[in-house]
Amino acid sequence: MSLFTSILTGLAMGVVFGFALEKARVFEPGMIVGQMQMKNFIMLKVFLTAVATGAVVLAALHGFGLIKLAPKATFYAADIVGGLVLGIGIALAGACPGTVLAQIGAGYRDAIFTLAGGIAGAVAFGYAEPALAPLLLTGGPGKLTFMDLTGVSYPVLAVGFAAVLVVVLVLLERWRPWRAELGADVDGDFGSAEDAPGAPASRLKPAE
Amino acid sequence: MTASAHIVPAQAQVRRPGMFQQKAWSPYVAGIAIGLLQVPAFLLISTALGASSSYVTVGGFIAALVDPGIIQIDYVAKHMAATGKNWWQVALVAGVALGAFLSMKLSGAHRRPISPIWRRALGTSSPALRYAMAFGAGFLMLFGARLADGCTSGHGLSGMAQMAVSSTIAVTFMFVGGIAAATLLLRRI
Repeated sequence: MSLFTSILTGLAMGVVFGFALEKARVFEPGMIVGQMQMKNFIMLKVFLTAVATGAVVLAALHGFGLIKLAPKATFYAADIVGGLVLGIGIALAGACPGTVLAQIGAGYRDAIFTLAGGIAGAVAFGYAEPALAPLLLTGGPGKLTFMDLTGVSYPVLAVGFAAVLVVVLVLLERWRPWRAELGADVDGDFGSAEDAPGAPASRLKPAE
Repeated sequence: MTASAHIVPAQAQVRRPGMFQQKAWSPYVAGIAIGLLQVPAFLLISTALGASSSYVTVGGFIAALVDPGIIQIDYVAKHMAATGKNWWQVALVAGVALGAFLSMKLSGAHRRPISPIWRRALGTSSPALRYAMAFGAGFLMLFGARLADGCTSGHGLSGMAQMAVSSTIAVTFMFVGGIAAATLLLRRI
């Protein structure tokens, strides 16, 4: 596939991705911070559904011999430290590297600063990589997968994993129905008790 | 009786919004749509969904304007190369902005410049503080993602679906870091 066709494919797939992120409301800072504060579970619902769907379709494609898997290599220190720093950034940005673009598309101005900071962070890592690689990106077991650990084939393991995720999602939905997690402006914002327009007047001291 | 008899037909005239005009979809419908994107990613580009590599591609070209020497760094040069995978991902994230914009226009929703949750999370409504914080958070987010070799998309969606051990570790610690920061550094929203 030519460079130009790859770009067009990326653009078309991105439009679908961004459309789905916006409709799911998962790009909202209120949803992402809400998830990290364990009061809103829309992010986990979208995320686990997409993982389960991906596992099933990749299991089918792999089962028919149409694709080769490309798991990332395991470097324990880099995965742990990188994961922690990424998570702290996500909570404070109220965005992920992908959803920040959806925030810009939806009109959030602070997301432009998140994007600029992200580009700066990626460049900083580029400069630091030659120094960090011998410390953190070395050793490790390589492209380790749960197939290597269990001896079970990918299609079986992936479909089994998806089935477990479906059970988790059914329980999650029973516990926290998604419609109740949207908020009045579908942004995961529920206001605080004092802000609510119909806040009970009983909070005020009666004038006696 | 007569009052309610008038209300019913009036309500029936309100057309239900079509799927694309709705403000919110079920997270399960949207999640399935996102998961299905792995099919064209693997079949057409021989790669998995991801987002954070594109920041190195774009950042590399911006940095090269000031420091042409950056292309001597193999890691950066590899991301700046004119390969289908590199530029597919740049186009993908650009498309995410466009797709969200289109969805927003179709549903007629409007966003304020800063989400109302930040006033409560930060205890102040100062835009300058929020902008500075967003820049710093974006920096951490991408530095961490590049160190871990993937973000919520590359490790989260794609790596976990491929049963990779690295991705399971990275995603676990991403939630550990995120929950700790949101609990210790932000106020309850």
